[in-house]
Formats: sequence, structure tokens, C-alpha cells
Amino acid sequence: MEVFVQQLINGLTLGSIYGLIAIGYTMVFGIIGMVNFAHGDVFMLSAFIALIFFMLISAWLGAGLIVLSLFFVLILAMFFTSLWNWTIERVAYRPLRGSFRLAPLISAIGMSIFLMNFVQVVQGPRNKPTPPMLNKSILLIDSATYPVSISYKQIVIIVTTIVLLAAFWYLVQKTPLGRAQRACEQDRKMASLLGIDVDRTISITFVMGAALAAVAGVMYLVLYGVVSFHDGFVPGVKAFTAAVLGGIGSLPGAVLGGLLIGLIEVMWSAYFTIDYKDVAAFCILAVVLVFMPSGILGRPEVEKV
Amino acid sequence: MTTKPLLQVEHVTMRFGGLTAVNDLSFEARKGDITALIGPNGAGKTTVFNCITGFYKPTEGMMTLTQENPDGSSGDSYLLERMPDFRIAWKAKVARTFQNIRLFGGMTVLENLLVAQHNPLMIASGFTFLGVLGIGGYKAREKEAIEKAKFWLEKINLVHRADDPAADLPYGDQRRLEIARAMCTDPVLLCLDEPAAGLNPRESLDLNNLLLSIRKDHGTALLLIEHDMSVVMEISDHVVVLDYGTKIADGTPAEVQADPKVIAAYLGVDDEEVEAVEAEVGL
Amino acid sequence: MAMDASTPAKRQADMTRALKEAAFAALITFGLCIPIIAWGTRQNLDNQLVLDPRWDAVAWAVAIVFVGRFLMALRQQKRSEGKSVVRLLPHGTIGFFQRNSKLFSLFGLGFLLTFPIIAINLAGWGGALKWIDNFGVQILIYVMLGWGLNIVVGLAGLLDLGYVAFYAVGAYSYALLAKNFGLSFWILLPMAGILAAFWGMILGFPVLRLRGDYLAIVTLAFGEIIRLVLINWTDFSNGYAGISGIPRPTFFGIPFTAGDDGFAAVFGLEFSPLYRTIFLYYVILMLALLTAYVSLRLRRLPVGRAWEALREDEIACRSLGINTTNTKLTAFSIGAMFGGFAGSFFAARQGFISPESFVFMESAIILAIVVLGGMGSLWGCAIAAIAMIGGTELLRELDWLKQIFGPDFDPTKYRMLIFGFAMVVIMIWKPRGLISTREPTAFLKEKKAISADMVQEGHG
Repeated sequence: MEVFVQQLINGLTLGSIYGLIAIGYTMVFGIIGMVNFAHGDVFMLSAFIALIFFMLISAWLGAGLIVLSLFFVLILAMFFTSLWNWTIERVAYRPLRGSFRLAPLISAIGMSIFLMNFVQVVQGPRNKPTPPMLNKSILLIDSATYPVSISYKQIVIIVTTIVLLAAFWYLVQKTPLGRAQRACEQDRKMASLLGIDVDRTISITFVMGAALAAVAGVMYLVLYGVVSFHDGFVPGVKAFTAAVLGGIGSLPGAVLGGLLIGLIEVMWSAYFTIDYKDVAAFCILAVVLVFMPSGILGRPEVEKV
Repeated sequence: MTTKPLLQVEHVTMRFGGLTAVNDLSFEARKGDITALIGPNGAGKTTVFNCITGFYKPTEGMMTLTQENPDGSSGDSYLLERMPDFRIAWKAKVARTFQNIRLFGGMTVLENLLVAQHNPLMIASGFTFLGVLGIGGYKAREKEAIEKAKFWLEKINLVHRADDPAADLPYGDQRRLEIARAMCTDPVLLCLDEPAAGLNPRESLDLNNLLLSIRKDHGTALLLIEHDMSVVMEISDHVVVLDYGTKIADGTPAEVQADPKVIAAYLGVDDEEVEAVEAEVGL
Repeated sequence: MAMDASTPAKRQADMTRALKEAAFAALITFGLCIPIIAWGTRQNLDNQLVLDPRWDAVAWAVAIVFVGRFLMALRQQKRSEGKSVVRLLPHGTIGFFQRNSKLFSLFGLGFLLTFPIIAINLAGWGGALKWIDNFGVQILIYVMLGWGLNIVVGLAGLLDLGYVAFYAVGAYSYALLAKNFGLSFWILLPMAGILAAFWGMILGFPVLRLRGDYLAIVTLAFGEIIRLVLINWTDFSNGYAGISGIPRPTFFGIPFTAGDDGFAAVFGLEFSPLYRTIFLYYVILMLALLTAYVSLRLRRLPVGRAWEALREDEIACRSLGINTTNTKLTAFSIGAMFGGFAGSFFAARQGFISPESFVFMESAIILAIVVLGGMGSLWGCAIAAIAMIGGTELLRELDWLKQIFGPDFDPTKYRMLIFGFAMVVIMIWKPRGLISTREPTAFLKEKKAISADMVQEGHG
């Protein structure tokens, strides 16, 4: 029981990170029908950006104000990652809109390779550890055999995720921007005939996806305290799995899928074997796509003859 | 009437969730006949086609296709609702065209007709194994296939476009090419989904002649969905009228034309008359 | 009006606009550079992370983007004025190559057959090893993989991102069977191919009803699963450490060793490691040519036509009696078989394999070669493989750059960076690939190439 509660906490923490990345996949897929292959690497890049800013700001503010400096890091990382994703969309995807359908996917794979190697070249191939932060934890269940605790890190991660998701939810559901987005999802040509600037809407989608990926990047850094240039691929695939599991195109689905994937991964490692945890994630991806391609909350696709 | 009808549709019902697209439909299509399936938009005609050709599995009902031996007796029977789509085309020999033309646009006109002869050619190429090694009579068989394609191209007046991509053809030619492609599978029953849609009067006339010649020269039975009443009334031997998935009339063109229920379904009637008609139909 | 285009005022306006665009691009670049280039992270001797400011690099990046964007903007303006634009290739080059493709194929074949001799003559015995091995063999492996994947992606239109799995199956089949049972390369080569084809069917079967991007992701997942199993199932595959000491292929029983019964001794030649390399070169050349021959044959057979028809319209295929499941499985397994051949050759050539060689990146590279070359075109694949693999191999040769950028400069570090960037650029330049026209498989009167706009890219 204690083990289970502890793993539940760990799983939800990890799951919120996956969920945040998954939103980026699901939004882009919803609006332009493309798997944004480079999204995992954008997430990795954001973790690097966060790392650099964290070092700059904590040197300036001092180690005492760690939560405040994390707040600044979050804002800055969101801004600069968004700028990157905006540029990527502008350079690598926009010229290919409406062309051959594989072209954007190949371009995205190229971008993913580029980003990964770019970070390797400019920041070096080694793991980058952050200075330790937020190491305290709260004891929840005092048990001699297996004490259950929740660390400050986990609290920060879960709270930040909830707050940002609420804000994001408001943005997408209640503002004209969100309406424009949903209109583009339904029918891009019609939306543009009705006066919606489709290019701008798509750009904003990429910016929002990147901002949430940046949140995930900061959280990842806080949780693991280390990042390296190839950390984008596997979390990226897992987040994509989450998006598919939740039903691609559905925002609550992405969060739900993220939490599920996080829980499954943590439980798998706790109860079975840690070696095959990535195999489990990939198997789930394959099984979900083959047997329930519309996911948990997605709309089923009907074959028209 | 000793022989069984070519296609016997019995009590076919097709539901999508709560929507009943086809409701307890029974009709027959006889060999050498042109059977027209008509009805207002949304009456479920294309769904019937999709059931017959195996793209949908009907919720209930039975569809039997009985082939004929060369001596005129009834040959093999196939229960279409139990067969996957490609086997219906290959074994039961039911070919079809589509409402929105489905040609292989990036392949040439000739290639389109060769793809239609896939199964016999596949056997001729020893299921690829012999073909790769270059043994067996594949070369000769391919020549025959090209001859057959040429025959159909002459029939639809497209020999001069044989080496152009199918997507390059004008609309009317694409329609005819799709029919020729379906005929290359040597069907006993050819299902045409609105073949005259979007054709000008001249092309429409050509189409009539093509369909009549298919029936006359090849003995292929035709089942067609059509909105163009001039085509329907002129060439069909037998008309089945659907409305809201239910059969409301069945008979010769003249009979159907005079049927008040058909007129009601097509033209719309006053409320009292609707009730009267509905009472008659039994709704 | 046409005269106005060159008036000083107009030119001034053009210049200002180009400058504005360049300034905007430079500003964005500055923003992009701020955290990630401006400060480098480095661990100091106490294992603590420290930051090194690198504003000079930022300045360079901004300057390069400014100038580049400025020139591009000017060029675009010239183009919109309808002046002649500098073309990379003179008009009709590709058409010329296509009309004479037989001739060029013969010429290319002749060059490939004599390549080792040319290399030895040009680079001498010592230098030729590098050219034959790094360029000849390496490129041919990718050409072969590209041609194999081309059957799946280019012809059948099934987007496969896990092709490297079959390469791995082939490599491990050869490595394990050769080491444990001592079977020879020539027996194991077809066996590896058959095993890979078998795996192609197993993996292909569940994913057949998926389409497009979903299929790509599932195949990616399968590729990763196979690699992760190879890493974790140490009893079987020796995990990360990989398998070393894989028996090398012999010249019909004669090993390429320095001993008395070695190749050199038997044929009365002076021992040189080059013989083995040349032998391997001809083996992979034969394998690649086999792949090309088979895929050319298959295209003209009903199964090949069915693949292309499937790529165009699956529903129409079904209405014509084509068993789409079997047709897709054949494509998957034949493609996998060639991957398996290439894999067993790879294992034999390296003598050592580990899961590191079969990462997703390899699949992406192979897919990139197929798509960049132009789907379905063998020539395109070959050109793309030469450009991408040969091009990145060439970076190893650029030691003279060290004299410009200082001794710390290592061009090979930029290999994959440039590779990824090139993928994006080529896609934007030619989304349909380098050779995008399709050649009909049969004709009545004359063979006309079909432009790419007509051809469907496949959806599943």
C-alpha cells in the first residue's frame, strides 16, 4: 500500500511532464495534421535554456530565493522556447504547407536531428547536472518499512502544471484565439474565407505548444537535476504515446494520456523490471494505435467509400 | 424461370449506430438485365452498393450471387455478406465504380486497366516468384492483358490517351475509364454508382450506348444508381426505388413511373397525401 | 512599367526592404542565440557546472544570418521582377538524364565495377583503403538500404520509420548463427534475409490497417522495441557490449588472413588488408545490384503494379479484387529481406555489432535517402545516398579547415547537424525529392514520364 501511494505520487509527477509535452503534439496534429517530430527536441532545448537561465539567475538572486528564481526561469524559458518553435515553424514547416504530405514529416525529422546535434555542438555532449535544489520533502505516511513522502519538487511540479493547464484551458476554450484555432482544425480553407489569419493561428499554436514544452523542460530539470542533448527523443515518444492514448486532437485527452503513461511507467518500474520500462511504453504505443487508434477521448475516424 | 436470379438481396438491413440506412430491403437482379436503383438523396442507395461489394457488412440479411455455367444452368453460389470485399470482386465477380471517381491518378490509363487484371496476371507470374526469375509464361500473358486493355480502350475511345496519366483525362473520360477498368475484371455483375453524374448530354448518350453494349456483348448484368431519369428510363429493364432505406417500388420503368408512392417521394406532396401514402406503405 | 523596375528610386526601395527583412531575421537570430549560444555550460574540476559567455559566437551567427537573409531577399526580388534566375542545373538536365537513363546506368555500372582499381591508381595502396571502405562500401550499404526501403515507402506508400529493425535482425542473425554454429557467410546471407522477411511479416501484420503518420509511429515503436530488447536481453545479445569477433566472410573458403592458407598466399600475392576490403566492396555491390534488379523486375510484375495502385487508392484496389493485406505484407517482407541482407553484410564487414548501430537515427537517415531521392526512383535514391552519406563522410576530409578555425575545430562534429539541416532544406527546395517523375511500367505507344503532381504519396 505504502509503495503504491509513493509510486502514485511519483507517477503523477512524471505524468504531468508528459502531459505538458503531449499537448504540443496533439495541438499541432489537430491543426495541421502532422506529427511534429521535433517537439521532443524542442522540449530538450527548453530544458537547456532553463538550465542556463537558472544558473544566471540563481547566481544573481542567491541560492535562498530558489522558488522566485524558478519563477523567472519559467517565464524566460517559455519565451525563448516559443521563439525557437515559432522560427522552426516559419522556416521548416510553413513553406511546405499544402505540399506533398510526407514532406513536412521529413522536414520535422530533419529538424529533430538538427536540434539534437545543434545542442550537442553548442553545449557539449556530456550530461549537465544542475546545482541541487528543493531537496526537502514532506513525510506523508510514517511507516517503518516504507515511509511515503512527497518532495518539494513534486509539489512544485504538480501545482505549476495544474495552474498553467487551467490558464491554458481558459485560453483555448474562452478566447477568440481558441475559437480561431478550433475553426482551423475543422476546416482551414473555410476558416480563412471567414477572415481568420490561418498562418498566424498556426504560428500561435506552435508558440503555445512550445511554451508548455518549456514548462515541462523546467519541471524535468527540477525533477531530475540533469539534462543532456539526447534527452528529447524518449520523452518525446512517450509524450506522443500519451497524446495518442488520450485521443490525438483532444487536449484533456493529452493530459489524461500523459498521467496514464507516467503512472504506467512508474508502476512498471516499481513492480516489474526497470530494464524494460521503455519497451513497455513503446508497446503501449503500438497496441493503442493498432487497437484503438482514436484513443480514449478522441473522435473515431470513419472510412468513407 | 428455372435459373436462380443472378443477385438475390433478401431482407438486408444496415444500421450505423442509431441510424438505419437500409431497412429490410429485398430485390433481385437478373442476368442480362439492367437494374436501376433510384431514390432521393440519402435514400441509402450507395449503402446498398457498399453492402453488395463488401465494403460494409450488413447488420442483417442475405445477399446471394449465383453465377451461371456456360450451359446456362446455375453455377456456384456466393453469400456476399460473408466474403471480404476483394474476394467478392475476384471470386463472385462483382465489379463496381464509385460515386467520386477512384482512378489511380498517377498511373497511366493503360496501367489502370492492367491493375484491374491483377489476379489472373498474379497467377501467370507464379505469384511473383517465377516472374522475378523470368520463367513461366508471364510475358505472353501480359501481352494478352495489354490486348484486352486495348480492346476496352477502343470501346471507350481512349486509345490515343493510353499512355497519359489517368488524372490528366477530362471528367467524362475518367468516368468511362472507370467503367472500362471495372470491366477488365470480367465481372458477371457491374455496379455503377451514378455513372452519368456530371456528364453533358452528349457524353450521357455515349454512356448509354456503352452500357447497352456491355450488356449485349458481354452478358454482364448491370446494377446502377442514377439520378438522371433519362438514363434510367431509357436503358433499364427493372427499377427499384428506395426512400429512407425502404423499398417503395419495384418494377419496369413504366410501372415505377406511374407509382404514386414514387411520385410522392420524388416530388413531395401535401401533408394529407403524405399520410395517405405512408398509410399505404405501412409506416 | 517594366522600365520602372530599374529606376534608382525603386532600387532604393528594394534595398531598404531587403535590409529590413535582414534586420528582422538578425533580431530573431539574436533572440534564438541568447541563452543557448551566448553561454556555454561546462563542468569545472570540482564537477560543478559553470557558464562560459560566448558573445563572439552570437555575433558571428547574427552577422551570418543578416548577410544571408539580405542576399536571399535581393535574389527573391530579382526573381519576382522576372529576370533570369541562376539555376543549379541547366534547364532540361534531368529530362536529358531520364531519356538516356540506360546509357547512364551502363556508365554508372562501369564506374562502380572499376572503382577499386581507380581508387588504387589515384590514391595508391595505402590511401585506397579509406576510399573503398569509407566511401565505396559505406555508400553502397546505404544505397542498398535505400533501395530496399524504397519498395515499402516509394512503391507501396507505406511509411516505415523502423526499417533499421530489419537491418538489426539481419546483423544479429548472421552474428549469432556464425559465432554459435560456425555457418559460413554465404549460407547465412540468405538465411538472414529470410529471417528479416519473416520479422517483416510479423511486425507488418498488426499495423496494416493503420495509415500515414500513425503507421510511421508504430513502425518507429517496433524498431525501438527490437533495439531495447537487444540491449536488455543480455543472455541473447550480450546487451550494450554487443557481439565481437564475428567471423569474417571468406573468399569461397579462403580467409583473408596473413597466414599460409590466406588469400594473398594462395594467389601468390603480397599480403594486404586491402584485398578483403575490395572483396567486401564487390559483395555489397552485387547485393545492391541484386536489390535494384529485383525491384525493377517487381515493378513490372502485377505485385509491383498493385503496390503502386495501393499507394494511389486502396479502396479502388479492393474493388478490383486485390488482396490488400497480402500485397502490403509482401511489400513489408520483401523490403525487410533486403534490409536483412544488408544487415548480415554489415555484421560481416564490421566483425562487431552492438545495439548502438541500430538506433532510430539510422532509420531516419534511410527514410531521408528514399524521400529526398524522390519516392520510387532508384536513381534518386542512389544520388541522395551519395550526397548525404558521401557528403558527411567528406567532412572527415576537411582537416584544412583547422587552419582557419583553429586546432579545436572538428568538422565531423557538425556531420549530423548538417545532415538534419540538409534534410529540411532539400524538402523545402524539392518536396517531391530530387527525381520526382514516375515512369510507367507498361506502355502502348510511347513511354511518357508522369509528373509528380499526379502521383499520390500514399496514406498508409
